[in-house]
Amino acid sequence: MPDYMIELRNVTKRYGDVIANDNVTLKILRGELMTLLGPSGCGKTTALRCITGHNIPDEGEVWIDGRDVTNVPTHKRELGMVFQNFALFPHMTVFANVEFPLMIRRMDKDERRERVMEALRLIRMEKYERHYPRQVSGGQQQRVGLARALVYRPKVLLLDEPLSNLDAKLREEMRFEIRDLIDRLGITAVYVTHDQAEALALSDRVAVMNTGHIEQVGTPSEIYDYPQSRFVADFIGLSDFIEATVSSVDRAAGMGVVRANGLDIEIPAPPSLSTGERVLVFVRPNDVDLLPGSSRGGTNVFPGEVGKVTYLGDRNDYRIVVGEGLELRVQTDGKERFHEGEPVKVRLPATHCRVIPD
Amino acid sequence: MTLLRQYLRALLNARKLLIYTFLLSFGLMIYTPFLIIVFRSVGRGWFGRMWLPPEYTLDWYRWAIEVTDIPGITVNTLIIAALAVIMATVIGIPTGWAFGRRRIPGKELLMAMILLPRMIPPIAFALGVAQIFYRLQLIDTHFGVALAHVAVCAPYAILVLSATFEGLDERVLEAAAVCGANTLRSFFHIVLPLIFPGILSSMIFTFTTSYNEFTLTLMTYGKDTVTLPVRTYLAIGEGYWEVTSAMSILLIIPSLVVLFMIQRQVAPEKLVGGFKGV
Repeated sequence: MPDYMIELRNVTKRYGDVIANDNVTLKILRGELMTLLGPSGCGKTTALRCITGHNIPDEGEVWIDGRDVTNVPTHKRELGMVFQNFALFPHMTVFANVEFPLMIRRMDKDERRERVMEALRLIRMEKYERHYPRQVSGGQQQRVGLARALVYRPKVLLLDEPLSNLDAKLREEMRFEIRDLIDRLGITAVYVTHDQAEALALSDRVAVMNTGHIEQVGTPSEIYDYPQSRFVADFIGLSDFIEATVSSVDRAAGMGVVRANGLDIEIPAPPSLSTGERVLVFVRPNDVDLLPGSSRGGTNVFPGEVGKVTYLGDRNDYRIVVGEGLELRVQTDGKERFHEGEPVKVRLPATHCRVIPD
Repeated sequence: MTLLRQYLRALLNARKLLIYTFLLSFGLMIYTPFLIIVFRSVGRGWFGRMWLPPEYTLDWYRWAIEVTDIPGITVNTLIIAALAVIMATVIGIPTGWAFGRRRIPGKELLMAMILLPRMIPPIAFALGVAQIFYRLQLIDTHFGVALAHVAVCAPYAILVLSATFEGLDERVLEAAAVCGANTLRSFFHIVLPLIFPGILSSMIFTFTTSYNEFTLTLMTYGKDTVTLPVRTYLAIGEGYWEVTSAMSILLIIPSLVVLFMIQRQVAPEKLVGGFKGV
């Protein structure tokens, strides 16, 4: 049996008539960094607060380290947490902030000092021990928050949008710093964010949440390459969706052909696919190839016309109309330029087309 | 061209002169009455068109202390102020907590009602208070006078404390809980240090309000509950200007001490809220 550090078992949490978590089950392995990803109001923070004990679930159980903690108060759960607004104690110095969890645990004074300085060295803040939180920058405040969360070596580190209040450049630096720190300490971590790039870059596994339930759990590449629902495909990265009807399935080759907007598109067929079924085919805009209008045809090559063109620096973004009014978004690496109104050919590589149950 | 430049420079100098003249007269207007009281309280034989008193003495202070029983009256004033501070704080903490931290329907309206005693002319309000207090036999009791003061002190306390509690960040308390602090330890290590400056400033405000309160005292005091402002007022009627001036100076001392305390102890940046990055 896998070694789960945190388990949410059929957790339901309501706020009045609003169901914030609807029968959520999530199992987090020991030593893994799990990200809860979703738009605001999807229930990811509610789920995190069920783990911290700031929320008591209406139904279901919360287990941490093999113990049912559903009704254990927050201060007895042995957690470390980093907050979006840092939530440092404004009346205490950086040193005292980091010392606080050790002081609460009545640790010996000399050992306390040693542990705090070790934690401050880890985040390169040892020079600021006598500063107050308001005297250091946002990024430094968040590093202090991190040190405070880690100083007593908790079983679990929880991070609630820790980088959202920092500017873009710092956010990217801190992302790697956090990942590095978690790797070094080998701690189990739950990371809540609405930023998909952050989730993909940081996580061992991602749980994508929507309207109070979990849509999909998987590694970043599973989530990105094999989304199981339209929501996941849409939320993570860019997507072209094509509503289609299955016209034939070749079970031996594992391929099928679907018809959409007057086009016959070849796709890899999952075993369950049957002729006549309505499906949703999706492809990433940067997986679509754009060819000059004069080039030869082939499998999944369709003539089209360039609509809106947007220059993005490292990429070009095109809207291409193919078949009977199907608009596809295509991104290319920007080496070739096509102009508005120009006839082009679009190739949808069959291996990059995926079928999502509609 | 040079003529124009000279003219402009002269105008500029004139404007500077004008500004300084204005500032000086403004300062004189504010401080002269105060200076007159200071000189009168230590001067003897200061009549007519003399600029300064011919003789200096501390006799008036001795008079004020001995004849008009300043020590007893000061004790009265302090007892009443202390009672008013306690009552206003006891009312202010839970009310301020409710206003600052809970969602109350019609919060603005309720706050306006609480501030109403400060808006009504004190004499009108005091008349009503006196009528009720005579019925309840609260006139000429320390508690009664203090209770009348609470009507104007409590709004201050509630206003200051609700702002203090509003500034107390819920997530800081959550952070304390995650760090392992139970409610009691979180209160002593986090909540109390953060709200203490607010409570202190509320107490200082209510203390000075009660200490200086005149109208409400005038309508509720008796021979055992004379306060400093009332006694000073009575001394004016008795016609001893020098003694009255000495009493006014004595009345000012605690206010100055409190003002000094406010500036030294309750540094605004020590109050909760408003720190970088939040």
